[in-house]
Amino acid sequence: MRETPLSNCERQFLLKAIEEKKRLDGRQTYDYRNIKITFGTDYGCCIVDLGKTRVLAQVSCELVAPKENRPTEGILFLSLELSPMASPIFEAGRQSELLVKLNRLLERCLRNSKCIDTESLCVVSGEKVWQIRVDVHVLNHEGNLMDAASIAAIAGLCHFRRPDVGIQGDEVTVYGPEERDPVPLSIYHMPICVSFAFFLEGTYLLVDPSEREERVMDGLLVIAMNKHREICSIQSSGGIMLLKDQVLRCSKIASVKVSEITDLINRALENDRKARKEGGKFGFAELMAVQRITALKSDEVSIEMSDGDAGAPSVAITTESPPEVGRVPSPVVRAPGAGQVGESLENAWGLEQLEEEEDQPGDEVMDEGLEIKEENQRQEKSKGEVVVISDSEEEEVVILNPKTQVKESTLHASQSQPQSTGAAKKKKKQQKKKPVH
Amino acid sequence: MRSRLATTMEVDGLSAFSLREFGCEQNLLSRPDGSSSFVQGDTSVLAGVYGPAEVKISKEIYDRATMEVVIQPKVGLPGVKERAREQCVRETCEAALLSTLHPRSSLSLVLQVVHDDGSLLSCCLNAACMALMDAGLPMGCLFCGVTCAIDPEGHIVTDPTAQQEKDSRAVMTFAIDSAQHRVMMSSTKGSFSVNELQQCIAVSQRASEKIFQFYRESVRRRYSKTV
Amino acid sequence: MSDCLKEKVGEVLLPGDIFSFENTSEKVICGPGLRRNGDEVLVCKSGILRHKHPNMYWVDSQQKRYVPVKGESVIGIVTAKSGDVFKVDVGGSELASLSYLAFEGATKRNRPNVQVGDLVYGQFLIANKDMEPELVCIDSCGRANGMGVFGAGGLLIKVSLGLVRRLLAQQSALVKELEQVFPFEMVVGLNGRVWVKAQSMQRVQVLASLLESCENMTPQQRHALFRRAANGAS
Repeated sequence: MRETPLSNCERQFLLKAIEEKKRLDGRQTYDYRNIKITFGTDYGCCIVDLGKTRVLAQVSCELVAPKENRPTEGILFLSLELSPMASPIFEAGRQSELLVKLNRLLERCLRNSKCIDTESLCVVSGEKVWQIRVDVHVLNHEGNLMDAASIAAIAGLCHFRRPDVGIQGDEVTVYGPEERDPVPLSIYHMPICVSFAFFLEGTYLLVDPSEREERVMDGLLVIAMNKHREICSIQSSGGIMLLKDQVLRCSKIASVKVSEITDLINRALENDRKARKEGGKFGFAELMAVQRITALKSDEVSIEMSDGDAGAPSVAITTESPPEVGRVPSPVVRAPGAGQVGESLENAWGLEQLEEEEDQPGDEVMDEGLEIKEENQRQEKSKGEVVVISDSEEEEVVILNPKTQVKESTLHASQSQPQSTGAAKKKKKQQKKKPVH
Repeated sequence: MRSRLATTMEVDGLSAFSLREFGCEQNLLSRPDGSSSFVQGDTSVLAGVYGPAEVKISKEIYDRATMEVVIQPKVGLPGVKERAREQCVRETCEAALLSTLHPRSSLSLVLQVVHDDGSLLSCCLNAACMALMDAGLPMGCLFCGVTCAIDPEGHIVTDPTAQQEKDSRAVMTFAIDSAQHRVMMSSTKGSFSVNELQQCIAVSQRASEKIFQFYRESVRRRYSKTV
Repeated sequence: MSDCLKEKVGEVLLPGDIFSFENTSEKVICGPGLRRNGDEVLVCKSGILRHKHPNMYWVDSQQKRYVPVKGESVIGIVTAKSGDVFKVDVGGSELASLSYLAFEGATKRNRPNVQVGDLVYGQFLIANKDMEPELVCIDSCGRANGMGVFGAGGLLIKVSLGLVRRLLAQQSALVKELEQVFPFEMVVGLNGRVWVKAQSMQRVQVLASLLESCENMTPQQRHALFRRAANGAS
């Protein structure tokens, strides 16, 4: 599909703004957009939102034969996919130049920097090793895919747990998660890419270019670095001439950004760990923010009752035989929106974060709304009096009720706004405005 | 618990089927013309739609739009399973869309599996329908997907989890239209009797009402500020 | 017939909803999102049902993709010059053609100065599903009437089609409130593109973010936001 062309007026405006050290979205030169890291139900599943750019990473593993020249090392396999969902110009399965470039960069950033201990992935030397596969899917392209992809990939690797194995003689047993707790990968360091866009022959530079900025940039410098300030890979593209000083300055900026992002990932991992421990189940990604603008709506369960008169003759038969074996009592209503307790928590968190930053507008990173979504333990609530449920459980169900929950979040989140959706939105807005005046 | 169930059954003379909690968000991605995320229990699918847009000459159809569906698995490249699902979803969408209104253009729907915990095809269908609606494409009716599993004892489980699907004897997914609650597409696995098939269809039709009601509520909520 | 439609005005409709006629003598005009299907009226888009006196009904939806309609005014981006026409991207499924003679005062000798990448404001002379759409930058009397190529400066932003319609509505509260923030120039195309120009770059930026964010806001929220913007900008 064709992409909407960039008009001359947009190009001129962007370049003029850059000359005046301004950016369309109100950021400063060295600011990142909001970074949000959410983990999924599965180990190793991670969604990163960088502003409106969205990337999904999933880490998986399987037992394979090792490479002949490295019989005792596991394999790290990286695959980045430009989903046609992300932009109209991306086609499924096509090896575009951009795709090759991003894949190569990601490989250099993660595999060649030896960020994970591949030797610990060896099961039987020369015969069986773990292959760790990282699938990165770009879901929405609003610029700076590389940084988002590298954050998602490394966060996914940190989050991932592989099944434990036992060796007795020649026999290798892979234990399921019920038998033995899965083990995390051993990560030496966390390399993260930071992109710098250069404009007007390298006179001006911007961190974290948006999609429109990428379209007018002259060159791009990507530095992969870990928080120990070790450069893992560096690449300049676009054919601009950079001075030594410029590269050094970029690496300094990168070190600041990388340490901030690493902290963010660690915090996100910590929150997820807590959620898993407390909730008993897991932290769930993609469970939508119920408070978010009108665009979304999460609903609880709906029960399906086929009364005797349900039309089809068959229903009579169903009535006789009690349905559902793996399932619990009759008119089952799963607790309304199990994700919601976690979310109110998350919301307050995000807002606190925002407020903090408002206090110190000089802060380098504008805001990093890290939101961890939790899904608390599922509860079954019976409908009506049909099934008896203990009082305590019922109480919890009341708390879970979406409406009460929304109110709660408003209470501690915002001062003035009557509606929590509005409040969240406003806050963001204010924030955007900050650097403008 | 189970015995209690049996007693309640006797008292009420009702049978019950449950759908896991579900949620939907529309218009969550900035690039596609329409997008949605649909969650059923732990199963979650993200959908994006582009169109009506430019079509490749080789795929151009002179009197209607060309519908393309891509399903992206979370791990690895799309395989035969995804292709089969793509076809199911595409045929359902084609039946619901009034594609003659946009001839010589392309409608492309991309579905990304975010988590699979059973009933994946029905979740794909639901996400697809919400995304098409968000894109404002003309549709003659809505559709939704319902999955039923029949366990070895012959009981029907609606909206099964991955484990329930695994334990079951047969799994069936139906796409139901909103106008007359007819079956638009069916995809089955395993063996079952004609009677069981009918039961499952009846149950799915019942369940579809709930889903359509949910569609309506979520769209209503979306427009609540512009009324 | 019109009674059952009238009852639903202001309510949210979904594709597949049906209104059936009882007495066919009444005339109803179906706008976007509604289709006649025999004796029934079928809703084919989700959105809010709107009514205009006496018997016009349509569904107001929030979509992003534009479909050309004859007579509508849009902002296009010139993508190519081929022969004696310009190819213009209007956001639809096909590029629209714009003859170089379709500008005020243009003759074979005196061609308008239009470069690739320029913005044009024009209206559709031809737009239907089976043909390539054609834009013109003159009205039926050959006058520019506000249409033509854009001058330098300003910024193009993309918003939803629903918001554009709200901006263009007569006595639009939104525009009135925006005016009070600070003075600016604005051109609104029905294809979801809005061109804004203000005194300073900063103001353009503020305007752009205001427009992008006011899509899903209640009037109260909007008031508060605009007031804050006005205070900040002054």
